[in-house]
Amino acid sequence: MVREYEHTKTVSVFRYDPSIRDEGHFDTFEIQIADKRLTTILDVLLKIQKEQDPTLSFRFACRVSMCGSCALVINGKERLACKTVVGDLKEKEITIRPLNHFPIIKDLVVDMDPFFEKYKEAMPYFDPKEDTEEPAVIKPDSKERRDIGLSTECIACGCCVSSCSMVNYHDAYCGPAAINRAFTLLADSRDGLNEQRMSKVLDSCYNCRTELNCTDVCPKEISPTRAIKYIQKQACIEAFRKKEKTPTQEDIRSDAKIPADVEDNSRRRFLKQMTYGLGAATAAVVGGVLASAAVGPTLRKTPKQWIHAGEMEGFPLNRVSTANIQYTNLDGFYKSKKTTPIMIYRKPDINQSVVYSSRCTHLGCTVRWDEGKQIFLCACHGGAFNSDGSVKDGPPPRPLDRYAFKIQDGALFVEVV
Amino acid sequence: MEKLSTDILIIGMGGAAQLAALNAYDANPDLNILIVTKALRGKGGCSRMVQGGFNVVLNQNDSHQKHFADTLKGGQFINNQELARIMVEQATPTIKEMETKYGCFFDRNPDGTIHQKPFAGQSFDRTVHKGDLTGIEIISRTTEQIMKRNIPVLEEHRALELLTDNTGKQVTGALILDMKCGEFKVVESAATLVATGGGPTHYRFFAPGPEKSLDGLGMLYRAGVRMVDMEMLQFHPTGLIVPGSVVAGSLLEEGLRGAGAHLLNSEGERYMKRYDPEKKERATRDVVSRSSFLEMAAGRGYDHGGVHIIASHLGPEFVEKNFPGMCLRCRIFGYDLARKPVPVSPTAHYLMGGAVFDANCQTSLERLFVAGEDSGGVHGANRLGGNGIADSCVFGRLAGKAMAEYLKKNGDKKAETSIGLAEELKARYTEPFNRKDGISPYPLRDQLRELNWNKVGVARNETDLNDGIREIDAISDETKSVGIDGIKAYNLPWNNFIDLLNMIEVSRMVASSALLRKETRGAHFREDYPDQDDQNGLINFFQERGKDGVPVFEQKPVDLKYLKPVDVKKQ
Repeated sequence: MVREYEHTKTVSVFRYDPSIRDEGHFDTFEIQIADKRLTTILDVLLKIQKEQDPTLSFRFACRVSMCGSCALVINGKERLACKTVVGDLKEKEITIRPLNHFPIIKDLVVDMDPFFEKYKEAMPYFDPKEDTEEPAVIKPDSKERRDIGLSTECIACGCCVSSCSMVNYHDAYCGPAAINRAFTLLADSRDGLNEQRMSKVLDSCYNCRTELNCTDVCPKEISPTRAIKYIQKQACIEAFRKKEKTPTQEDIRSDAKIPADVEDNSRRRFLKQMTYGLGAATAAVVGGVLASAAVGPTLRKTPKQWIHAGEMEGFPLNRVSTANIQYTNLDGFYKSKKTTPIMIYRKPDINQSVVYSSRCTHLGCTVRWDEGKQIFLCACHGGAFNSDGSVKDGPPPRPLDRYAFKIQDGALFVEVV
Repeated sequence: MEKLSTDILIIGMGGAAQLAALNAYDANPDLNILIVTKALRGKGGCSRMVQGGFNVVLNQNDSHQKHFADTLKGGQFINNQELARIMVEQATPTIKEMETKYGCFFDRNPDGTIHQKPFAGQSFDRTVHKGDLTGIEIISRTTEQIMKRNIPVLEEHRALELLTDNTGKQVTGALILDMKCGEFKVVESAATLVATGGGPTHYRFFAPGPEKSLDGLGMLYRAGVRMVDMEMLQFHPTGLIVPGSVVAGSLLEEGLRGAGAHLLNSEGERYMKRYDPEKKERATRDVVSRSSFLEMAAGRGYDHGGVHIIASHLGPEFVEKNFPGMCLRCRIFGYDLARKPVPVSPTAHYLMGGAVFDANCQTSLERLFVAGEDSGGVHGANRLGGNGIADSCVFGRLAGKAMAEYLKKNGDKKAETSIGLAEELKARYTEPFNRKDGISPYPLRDQLRELNWNKVGVARNETDLNDGIREIDAISDETKSVGIDGIKAYNLPWNNFIDLLNMIEVSRMVASSALLRKETRGAHFREDYPDQDDQNGLINFFQERGKDGVPVFEQKPVDLKYLKPVDVKKQ
C-alpha cells in the first residue's frame, strides 16, 4: 500500500469559466501515477481531462518542447507542461495555473495576442541588407555567430514574460522575448534594419531590472537578460564609434556643398546615437545599483487607487466578513477589470481592524475564514493562518498580506495598485 | 454565422501554408490573404517539429539528377516523376530564399558555407539543418515574415469542411470553428489552399504532435477531391518509447542512424546486418521500420515492446554536440542517449499518399490548391528523410505564386456557395451537444489507434485489412452516439470528436487502398504478398468518395517519363 500512496498525487488546477466571468478558483484532483519519471505535467492534465473532468481546458500542440504552446505556472514557476516530469518536482503536491500577465480564455488557456503585439514592436523579423540570391558565407566561430549562439531557438512560449515583474509596471516594455529576438537580429550582419530596430528596443531595455527571472525560467535555456545587456552595450559602442567619425574642420568647411536636408539628417542621426549611448551608460550604472535592491513601490508606475469596498454597517463587529472589490488594473501588457476577494476583520477600535488579502501567500489560492476554528484556511496545500494573519501551519512563507484602508462617510475604502 | 471574405484562404500554418502566404503576398501585395490555423500562429503542424533537416542540392559535386534518382529509388518508382523533379529542382532556390529573404541561418561548415549532413537513402550528404531541431528555425523565421507583411491570421480557428457551389466542382471557401469561443464562421474565398499537413495520429505510436488529426485529408476527401496512394503511410523506425506518456512515439531523428548509431534486439544482435547487409541502419525508413517490427513480432523485442538504439560507440561527446535536442528529449525521461541504449519502436510518421495535384498545386476541384503532406504523389511508396520539409516548402512556395497568378488570370470573383450548405454542416458538428447521455470520444479514438496499429500497420494482410475496415465502420457508427458536455468555448472533448471523424475518414482510405495493393512496396508491407512485383505493381491507386461514402477506386500505371527502375539498376 505504501507504493500506491507514493503514486497518488494531489493536483490543484486553476479553473476559469468565461461564461461566468468570476475570479476563478482551484479544483483539486487525486490522480494515480504509474511512474513519476515517465509522466509529464501534460500527461497529468490529459489524464485528468480524460478520466475525471472532460471540461478542463488547456493548450498543447507538439508535446516535445518545440512549439511553446503548453507554458504554464507549475508549482509557482513558469515551465512547459510537456517538458516537466512529475518526478522532477520536489513539492509533494502539484499546483498548475495559467501564465501571469495574460487574459484568461478558459481554465489554463490564456490569450497570447498581447504577447505577439508586444513582440511585433521590436521588429522581430529579418530584413535583408542586400538583395542577394546566395546565402552569406559566415564562419560558425565568427564573433556574430558566437554572440547569437542558440538565442534564435526561442519558441515564443511566453514563460519569460510571465516571470518578468517589470512588464507589470511599464506598459511601453516590449518584454524579454521580443528583446531577445531583436538582439539576434542586431547581431546578425545580414540584417538591414539595425538602426530602426535599435531605436525601437533600446528604451525597452531600460525597463529591465536584471532580476534574471526570464533567464531562470526559459525552457530553451536562452538568456534574454544577456540580450538586453548586449543591446545596451552595443548602443554605447555604436554611439562612441560614430562620435569618432564626427565631422573634422575640413568636413565642416565642405559642408557648404551638402544640401541642407542631408546635413540635417546626418546631424540628427548623430544626436540620436549620442542619446542611445548616454542612455545606455546610465542604464548600466543604475541597473547595477538596483540589481541588489528589492524593487520598491516607488518604481510602480501605476498610481495607487482607493476602491470602495462596502458600507461599514455591512461588516459585523468582531467577525471576519468577505467582500469583493472591483477595479481596473494595468497588468503587464493589458488593462483588465479585476474582481478581488478581501476579508475584513472588524474590531470595536477601528485602528485595530484589519483588511486582509484573500490570496494565500504560498501560491495564491483563495483562503477562507473558518469561523469555528477561528483560522484562515487555504484548500490548496493546507496552509493555515491565525486571526492576526500570521502563519499557523503549512507551506505559506509569510503572513497574509494586508490592505491599507480608510473609512469615509461610513464606507470602507481599500488601497490597491 | 459570421461571414468573412478573402481573395485567398490558406488553411494551416506550417511550412507549406506560410510559404504560400508569403509568395502570394510578394507576387501581389494587394491580395487579401487570410490564414486560419488550428493552433497558435506558427505553433501547430509538423514543419516546426522537423528535426533532421532539408534535402537540397547545393554542392557542385551533387546534382539534381542524383537527388531525383534517390527520391525515386526511395519511393520504389511509384512517385509522380514530374512532381518529384520539381521538388528537387526547386528545393535549391527555396532554401536559398529561406536564408536570404527570411533570415534563416542553417549550420555552417568551418569555411562558412552551408553544412549538409548524411541521411538515409542518399547518394550524397545533402541535408541542410540547424542542429537537430531544424523546424524551429524554419517556422520561427517564416512566422515573423508573416507578421512583417501584416498578413492576417485567425488562431485556434480550425477548418471543418470545404464549401462548394451547386455543382460541387468549385470550392467557395470553408466552414471554420473558432475553438476559443466555440462559434462557427464562413470564409468565402476566390482561391483556397489546404495545407494543414497530414499527421497520422491514428496509430498507437505516432510522431506528429497530438493536436494533428488529418483534418486536411478528411475535408479534401469529403469535398470530393481525388486522392492517390493512400496505402502509403510511413513508419519512422525510431520513435521514443515512454510508457503511458503522450510523448511516446516522438522521434529520435534519422541523423543518428546517419551518423552510425546501431539498432539492437533483445538478444543484443545488430539485426539490420541481417535485413540489409550493405546499408544496415542507413537503409531507408521503410526497410528499417519493417525489420524492427519483424524483430518485435518474432519475440526479440524488449519488455517495453520495442528495440534499442545505441549511439555510445560514436563517443558521448560527439553525440551530445551533434544531437543536443535528442539528448535532452531522452534525458527528460532518464534515458542517456550519449552513453546508454534507448528504447525505440517504429512510429506512424507521414502519409506519402494524399490529394492529387499538378505542377501549379491545383487539385481535381476548381479554385482548390493543396501543398505539403495533404498532397500525394511526390514520394511514392516511401519518403526519404529530409524530403518532407523540402516538399512542404517547395510546393508551398509554388502554390503561393500559382494562386496569385490564378487570381490575376481569373479575377477575384468568387463562386456562390450552395445554399444552406454551411448551416447543414454546422448542425451536424453540434449534434453531440444534444446527446446528454452520450458516450465519450476518447475510448473510440483509442480503439481506432489500436486497430490501425494491429491491422493496418507496419505489416498487413488481407484478413486483417478486411477486419480492420469492418471495425473502422463500427467505430464510425459509434461516433453517432458521442455526447459532449460543457460550454463550446475551448471544449477539448468536442475537438477530439471532430479529430476522430477525420481520423476515421483517413483510416478507411488507407485500409481500403492497402487491400488493393497486392504486393509489398516501400512502406506497404503485405505478409501475404511479401515480394515487390515490378510487373504489376508500378501503378498508382486513385480514390474518390462515392455517393454512398464508400471510396471508388481507379488504378493507372505510373508514367516513368524520366527514369525507369532498370536505369537505376544499371548504375
